[in-house]
Amino acid sequence: MNRPNIVAAPTVFVVDDDASICEGICNLLDSVGLRAKTFGSTQEFLATWRQDMPGCLVLDVRLPGVTGVEFQEQLVRSGIHIPIIFMTAHGDIPMVRKVMKAGAIEFLTKPFQREELIHGIGQALESDRLRRTALESEQSVQTCFESLTAREREVMSMVTAGMLNKQVAADLSLSEITVSSTAGV
Amino acid sequence: MALLEPGRASQLLMDNGIRPSAIAGVFVYTALLWTLFIQQGISYPFVFLFFGAVIGSAWFGGTLAGLLSVGFSTVVFAYFFVPPVFSMSVEKKSRSYLLAYFLCATVISWMCSSRKLAEVRILRARDELEERVRERTAEIQRSNEEIVESERQLRLLTEAIPQQIWRAAADGTIEYCNQHLLNYTGRTAYQMMGDHFASVVHCDDREEFCEAWANAVSSGIEFEDECRICGADGQYRWFLIRSIPQFSTSGRIVRWYGTHIDIEKRHRAEHALTLAQVELSQQSRTLSMAELAASIAHELNQPITAVVTHAYACRQWLAADPPNLERASTTAEKIVQESTRASAVVAGVRGLFQGTEPAREPADINQIVRSLAQLLRDEAMRRGVIVRTHLASKLPSTLCDSVQIQQVLLNLAMNGMDAMAETNGLRELLIVSESVGFDEILIRVEDCGSGMDAETAAKLFVPFFTTKPHGAGLGLSISRSIIEAHDGRLWVTPRIAGGTVFQFTIPVVS
Repeated sequence: MNRPNIVAAPTVFVVDDDASICEGICNLLDSVGLRAKTFGSTQEFLATWRQDMPGCLVLDVRLPGVTGVEFQEQLVRSGIHIPIIFMTAHGDIPMVRKVMKAGAIEFLTKPFQREELIHGIGQALESDRLRRTALESEQSVQTCFESLTAREREVMSMVTAGMLNKQVAADLSLSEITVSSTAGV
Repeated sequence: MALLEPGRASQLLMDNGIRPSAIAGVFVYTALLWTLFIQQGISYPFVFLFFGAVIGSAWFGGTLAGLLSVGFSTVVFAYFFVPPVFSMSVEKKSRSYLLAYFLCATVISWMCSSRKLAEVRILRARDELEERVRERTAEIQRSNEEIVESERQLRLLTEAIPQQIWRAAADGTIEYCNQHLLNYTGRTAYQMMGDHFASVVHCDDREEFCEAWANAVSSGIEFEDECRICGADGQYRWFLIRSIPQFSTSGRIVRWYGTHIDIEKRHRAEHALTLAQVELSQQSRTLSMAELAASIAHELNQPITAVVTHAYACRQWLAADPPNLERASTTAEKIVQESTRASAVVAGVRGLFQGTEPAREPADINQIVRSLAQLLRDEAMRRGVIVRTHLASKLPSTLCDSVQIQQVLLNLAMNGMDAMAETNGLRELLIVSESVGFDEILIRVEDCGSGMDAETAAKLFVPFFTTKPHGAGLGLSISRSIIEAHDGRLWVTPRIAGGTVFQFTIPVVS
């Protein structure tokens, strides 16, 4: 679970208006070697959090101001894809169904078992890692493409469209050798 | 003098001239012939037949005919029988005789005619009287017919009004019931007469009704009462019975007129409303209990969650190699802090309940039971349950919150009725009040349901324990808290003849 990441170690963001809950969770995660950051409200969390911070969110449902469920909706709308684990003292089935449908990883009822929390966080961090890996490989392709010259991009688009080197050469009035050296194949 | 009309003149002539003359002439002539015939054998002048002629003329012809016959007979008598006979002259010694005759005849004529006149008058008076009597009789008959007709109209009217109407004598016994009333009760007029009316009143209402009616009859105050009356189908409906007395001119009550107004719908609505209100107050109580419970649960859950999380962490710190004793120790400290916080929440909740002192006022337990029984009537009827009360008289009063005690009773009664829902035999709910010792009143609510096993009985007062599909399981635990808050006890025992007895005590005012 706690495998080293290329960018940074993942952080568990805990949001609960009850400081003692935050402290307890933080202590528990610390004891199993997970890094945790606690916040008393969603605003505090948003003020700290940045896109490049890997990790997951442990969110209380009952919060002052915006509730946990509403906050999830806000995040989805603004394209923030941090995995969320909900916790509440009393949840009902419609609420659980709603947050799970919106992509929540786990729904915990306070007081929860250690394994429930650790397992949920493990799942959430894994899901975040996979998403970030996919995002990174996509980004590296994008960086490569941007480093190409105009001619190279032209050749690339034609080759990736399935044309033979000689067809490309004929179309662009180039020699077949130039094309193959440009395309690198 | 005005000229007489020809008809009237001839009539006058006939009445005063011709007819009396003719009658007198005929009588005198007849008397003459007979006297001439008789005179042959008699030496002295025979005058009696002439007297007869005078009497006859006066009788049949009137005064004038009598006088004429006196004249005629005197002349004839002087001519034929007074010497010298066959001459109008009268010898000196016979003059007094003739005069005597004349006078006698005149007196007879006068007497006879006046007698006749009197008789005619009497007859006429009798006729007039008879005529009068006939007229009076006709008049009385006519007014009788009118009375009969107006009574018929009145009866038609009372039958046409879609209401039950009756009339009672001054002593309060029923004299007349209209068809609507008879149709509704399915009884004959005879069955409703006299004192039998009370038999159609529901047995629970009868005593009150009879008392109120007797009161009205003796005091002459308008009567008004609401009670259930048995219909022909055996079903009871609520009626408003009103009666007003009719007074004679001397101020004595002559009779009573009564009407029945069907108030079944209104009564049902009222009862439903009252029940709904009681239920609502109970529900709002349960609801606020539920809200309170949720709030307490949340308040407790927070520190408990923190305690549990810290405890897991503490175990983890100790399980590490080497064990992180410092972190374990600070974590244990956190556990102590959070546990203390949890117990503070519990203490706060307890304080919340202790803070509310229930309202205490002197109350009559029997009155509370009676008003509850009243409240339960319809519900009990719907469920086929008979509610009976057996209340000790002269109970000392208690200090209690009567609304709360009524809620406890309602709760126990409803439980009892629920317990009898499956009972096939007699469904009777008995509420008993009695004095226990000098300082307590005991109230028992007995049902004849199937009773309960020991396991159920043991859990009965545990909050949220219920045997009902939609029960909250709070009724009996709340009831017990209410009774205990009143320094009383609430407990349950099986009923010997089957069923369950819930009983509670309430201290009396010392």
